[in-house]
Order: sequence, then structure tokens, then C-alpha cells
Amino acid sequence: MIVFAAALSFSSTSRAADELVVSVNSHTGEPETGFDPLLGWGCGHVNFEPLIQSTLFKSADNGSIINDLATNYSVSSDRLTWTVNIRDDVKFTDGEKLTAKDVAFTFNTAVGSNSELDMSNLENATAVNDTTVKFKLKKPQSSFIWRLRYVGIVPEHAYNKETYGQNPMGSGPYKLVQWDKGQQAIFELNENYYGEKPYFKKITMLFLDKDAAVVAAKAGKVDISEIDITHVNQTIDRYNLISLSASRAQGVSFPIQYDTGKKSLSGDPIGNNVTADIAIRKALNTGINRKAIVEEVLDGKGDVEYTGVDQRDFGNSEAKINDSNVEGAKKILEEAGWKDSDSDGIREKNGTKAEFNLYYSSADQTRQALSTAVSEQAKELGIKINLVGADWDTIYANQYSSAVLYAYSSVDPFNLYLQYHSKEADDTYKNPGLYNNSVVDGYLEAALRSVDQNQATKYWKLAAYDGNTGYGPAGDATWLWLVTTDYLYMVDETLDIGTPSKNSGADILGNIHEWKRTD
Amino acid sequence: MNTTVTLKKGLFGRLNLRQKTILIICLTSLLLFVIVISSLVLGGESLPTNFGFKNLAPSLEHPFGTDWMGRDMFIRTLEGLGLSIIIGAIASTFSTILAMILGLLSSAGKKTDSFVSWLVDLFLSIPHLLLIILISIGLGGGAFGVIVGVALTHWTSLTRVVRAEIKQLKTQEYVHVSGNLGKSRWWIATKHIFPHLIPQILLGTILMFPHAILHEASVTFLGFGLSPHEPAIGIILSESMKYLSAGYWWLAFFPGLALLIVVLLFDMIGDNLGRLMDPKSAHE
Repeated sequence: MIVFAAALSFSSTSRAADELVVSVNSHTGEPETGFDPLLGWGCGHVNFEPLIQSTLFKSADNGSIINDLATNYSVSSDRLTWTVNIRDDVKFTDGEKLTAKDVAFTFNTAVGSNSELDMSNLENATAVNDTTVKFKLKKPQSSFIWRLRYVGIVPEHAYNKETYGQNPMGSGPYKLVQWDKGQQAIFELNENYYGEKPYFKKITMLFLDKDAAVVAAKAGKVDISEIDITHVNQTIDRYNLISLSASRAQGVSFPIQYDTGKKSLSGDPIGNNVTADIAIRKALNTGINRKAIVEEVLDGKGDVEYTGVDQRDFGNSEAKINDSNVEGAKKILEEAGWKDSDSDGIREKNGTKAEFNLYYSSADQTRQALSTAVSEQAKELGIKINLVGADWDTIYANQYSSAVLYAYSSVDPFNLYLQYHSKEADDTYKNPGLYNNSVVDGYLEAALRSVDQNQATKYWKLAAYDGNTGYGPAGDATWLWLVTTDYLYMVDETLDIGTPSKNSGADILGNIHEWKRTD
Repeated sequence: MNTTVTLKKGLFGRLNLRQKTILIICLTSLLLFVIVISSLVLGGESLPTNFGFKNLAPSLEHPFGTDWMGRDMFIRTLEGLGLSIIIGAIASTFSTILAMILGLLSSAGKKTDSFVSWLVDLFLSIPHLLLIILISIGLGGGAFGVIVGVALTHWTSLTRVVRAEIKQLKTQEYVHVSGNLGKSRWWIATKHIFPHLIPQILLGTILMFPHAILHEASVTFLGFGLSPHEPAIGIILSESMKYLSAGYWWLAFFPGLALLIVVLLFDMIGDNLGRLMDPKSAHE
């Protein structure tokens, strides 16, 4: 009887047409530090529309950068000063005007913030007048525009690092009216928003895990739910499954260094004598059948991936190789001296077995399945991959001596620099293999020094493969990139989400102004 | 009385209680033995995935269905149970040895006795599960961590039993007589006390199995210890929780049932063995 009554009340709590209930933030979860852009809301580890704050730039449907708060920008000839002009007619929700001072304050504060937002190259930002900001860089960084893209502008007069996350205020399309920690956040439309006003007056953002998100959709309690690949074969009445690409590349990082007993800055072991051999890396890149992994593990909701940035403008198709070539892979191994002399199914070379550990995050089923698929395919080549499911602390402690299954999805080419430029073993997840190639370093530096994006793109591509060397599989094969995974959403059939911009499946609310309810 | 006897003339009807008890012990032990052996044989080759057969309902080909990576749940469950029994065996053997040493130590003198009691109280005051998790994390996780964690937490009750039994035996008249006749302490310990302890220890070890297995399952269920691709029964059960909303009931039902049966089997062996060994019930 009680169950029946509860079921009845589920169906009777219908929402107003202009109210939206979403469970789409699962990839980052509830923001622990609140809705503060300087502590990770909207930018940093992953980038997405912050709703409450507005940003200097936004993305067009084709993924290119267009103005939001900004009206235009220019770069000085020494490429160290970026000047951005902003709109004159923007107000925060408390009625105060948004000026260049607030922009400068936001970025100057970001430099010192201890979040994943990397502003290390910014010397300072200064407001020249009410509508002009100058950004002074330490070194040229052609991709700096991407650092300006996702940072929400906070009001200087109402910002306090301790409390802002709980009581955020900005000039974005919505304002936060309620935050029930551990459950939901409720946003209401900012009536004075300067841009195109969204159709939805109220957004309730539920913080559900992905299993609960499916249940919520089944109960008809949400308009859109992000779901996990493991639920992809379920059908829910009056909901459509959509999959959006996000260039979210998943792949296996290889330790490039040999094991010489060296330790990282925090004392973790460096080097792996198996993966340091380029033949092993090349053979895996050649022998693995990526297409089969997409079909089997991802149910086709994704694509094959060779360089980690295949789908980006700065991806280099020359760096790809033909895969699922088991014979070719075996030939590479034989020629390099990896032979199975004791016929136990695992090759050896000078007494070293072709065997290494592959760490994956035990919280993520997709990564577990990808790792399992790779290790099973590698067995056919005579390479034994031992899987270890672990938490991230353990993974970071082992990333310089073992392979790790990582996912990368940044639109900012600067991440190529972080990922492939030589560095010290500082225990961050950037360049986990400690790749060190002076030619590639040169291209990456040249890309950052470039005058315009076209020239920069040329160098980013050369870093992947220049006909001779590079980080891609055709070059040093520093990674075994496997697939790009799509983001999956269960969408109520009355919801029209417009045209999401290209490759931004993770930032589903990025085009919220196009969303409508249809009947 | 006579009617009930004639009615019971089935397969076991002609056997007396003692023979029946022995039969039950043999059969259950055989079943557990088969589980361990088959899991060891299957465990040599890691369980292959087959993504073409994801989440299939139970059928003749896959009696327990298949999981989200297309692995046969019957084999996975068998491997998980085998691992559980092995962990249970190692942990309870280790616990028994520990319990014996501490039990004997407590009979050596007043000071050692109060030390052992204190140690037992100390370990009993911390919840088992918490202690297992702490120990297995402290040892870097993995099967090794779980085994040591379970072994180091299950000796307390048996130690108490052994200690009480020794105390009781020491007050017996024949022990005093032997002492007065000039027998050495060692002679008394090995000839008088130890033989009496054997049934207690044997039963204690077997009855520790279910505890150890269930604790191993709960620790792996909570995600401590083993990697999620390894076939532990706790991992299988916690994974199945994710699919309850999808209606894949077989992922939780069969492994859970199998775990229950194994635990009950151990309990049965323990009970029947106890009946055989206890002089009061042995001749019923």
C-alpha cells in the first residue's frame, strides 16, 4: 500500500515546463569546494559551463573560440602581453558593474590558488581601464586563449576564498539559490543576464552516482541523466539515449626510462626495463585491435584513438599507424630479440620477461574493461600484462615504473606540452612516462612561441611525428592510445538540447541557451 | 516408535546415526574439496572475457549467467569460493596455532595469563572488520593483506576456549596425582592435557572457517584488498549491486547462494564432527 502511494506520488510530482532537472555533473561529482571557479568549478581538472559566472570566451558550434564577455583580443609582438577588451554593459547579480578590475582580480587570484587551474605562466593581469585587461606572461604561450576560455569571472567586491564557494555570485545566465550538500543544487535564471537568455527558468542539478542516475531516469525524475557505458543497453520509456563525442582519449602510459634505481622527488621508483624498450611499445601499438575494443567494450559508443588527440585540430594523422596487425607486431618483437625460448607463452630478452604491471582506477569499470581487453590481446603477442586495480594515490606512486590506464580530454594544446615535454619526476599525472626527447621538446617550445594558431598547430603536429620521430605511435610510441569514449545521456523525449558544440560531450550544459521543452 | 523407524528406510535408513554423521562429513568435505581443486585448476588460466556474451541470463551453457565482461559467472563464482576457502584455511590454521601458543602460555604462570587475557580483550574490543581493513591496508593490500588481516583477528575466541580448558584440566585429580607421583610438567602437558585439547582445537579450527570466509567476503565487498578484476566473492557481490536496477538478478543470487551454502557446509561438518568427538553424544 505504501509502495503504491509512493509510486503514485512519483508520477504526480510533475515539473513545470520551464523547470529542468539534470544529473549531468557526475564526471566531476559534486564540487567539494563549492561553486568557486578559482577552486575548480568549471575549469581546472575538467572544463565545463559554470552557469553562475560568465567567461571571457565561449565555444562556437564547431568548437572554435568566440567572444562572450570579451569583445576582442590582441597579442603583442613579443607575445608576452595579451590585451582583452570586454563588454561595458555587464552587471553582477547584486547590481554592481563587472569591470576589467574584476577580470584582473580573478586571474591574479587564480595564479595563487592551489587548484588544478594551471596559471603558472601568468605573471599578472592588470586593468588598464574599465573595459581593457592586460595579461603579462612569463613565457610566450600561443595557447593562452584556452586558459582564458573557461575561468568564470568573480566579483572583486564580494569574493572571499573561504565563503565564495558556498555563496557564489557572478554574471552568468543563472544564480545559485540553494545547495543541499550531498544532494542537489538549485539554480534560477538571472533576469539581468546580458547574453541570450535560456528558456529554462530553473535548473535542479542532482548529484547522483551513475547507477542512481539510471534509476532516477526510470522513475521519470530527471530530464537528462549522464549514464555509464554498462547501462548502455537499457531502454527507458520516454527517454532517448544520446552519445556525444568529447575527444576523451583513453590509453596506456608507458614508463620510457630504464630502471636504474632512480627515485622520484617523493621517493617512488622510476623506470621499467620492459616498456622502456621501444619494440615492446611499437609491438603493442601495432598488434592491438582497437576497433574490436570499441565494439566490444564500448558497444560502439566511441572511436579508435592513436595519438590521444586524433580528433583535435592539432592532432597529426601522419603519427598514426595501422593496428590489429598481430604478425607485424610479432615480427617487431622477434627482430628486437624478444623471443619465447622457454615456450611458456611469454617472450624473453636477455633473461628479462616481457611482463609488466598495468594500473587502473578500481572505481572505474570502463577502465577495468579496457585494461582487461588490452592484457588479453597482449597475451597473444607474448607480452604478459598483470592488472592492478588501485586508488589514485597508489597509481601515482607507481606511474613511473608501471603502465597506467589514463584518460585525457583537454581542448587546450598546452596539455601536449605538459604531457610530452621532458620534466622532473614530480608525481603529477602529467607526462607519467617521463618521456624525454629533445627534438619533441623543441617542437613543443616552438609551438608555444608561435605568433598565431596556424603556426602553433603546425608545431603541435610535428611533435607527434615529423617523419622521423615524435610522441605518436609512428615515432617513439610513448603511449598505447586505445579509444575515445563518448559521453552518454538519457534524455527525456520532451527535452530539446539544441546543437551541442563539437567534441564537448563533457560540457553538456555549454549550450544551455539552446535548450527547450517541446510537447 | 517402530513406525518411524520403518518409515525412515530410505537411502540412509539402514545406517545408524554414527554412520550417517560420518557420511555427511565425508560428503560435505568432498564437495568443499572439489570446489577448491576445481578453482585451482581453473585459476591457472585467468578467466577469459567474451564481450559478445555480456549479461546473459542463466542457461544450460552458462548455469549462473554471464557478467558485464561476458565472463561465465559459474566459473567466476567457483574461483571466488576457492579463493575464499583457501584464505579461510590459511587464516584459521594460523589462528589456531596462535591460539594454541597463547593458550599454553597462559597456563605457564599468573603474569603470562593476565597478559594473554589482556591481549584477548584488546583484540576483542576493536570490531573485527575494522581491524581487518586496517591490517590489510597496512600490509599494502592484496590477497596477502587480507589473509594476514583475517588470521590476526580470529584467534581470540579459540584462545579463550583453550585457556579455560587448560585451567579446568589442571584442577583434575589425575593431574594432581601425576604431579605427586613426580611426573615432569612436560609429561603432564603432553600426556594429560594435550590429548584433551585436540577435539577443541579441531572443532575450533573448522568452526572458524565460516567466520573467516564471511569476513574475507565483506572486506572484498567493501573494496579493500583485492583488485576488482580478481574473482573474490565479495567483489562479485559488490559488482552485482550495480546491476540490480537493470534486473540482472543472477549476478547476485547465485554467488550469494553459493557463499551461503559453503558457509553452511562448514557449519555442518563442525557440528557433526563435534557430535562424534564429544564422548556424551558419540554413542547415541
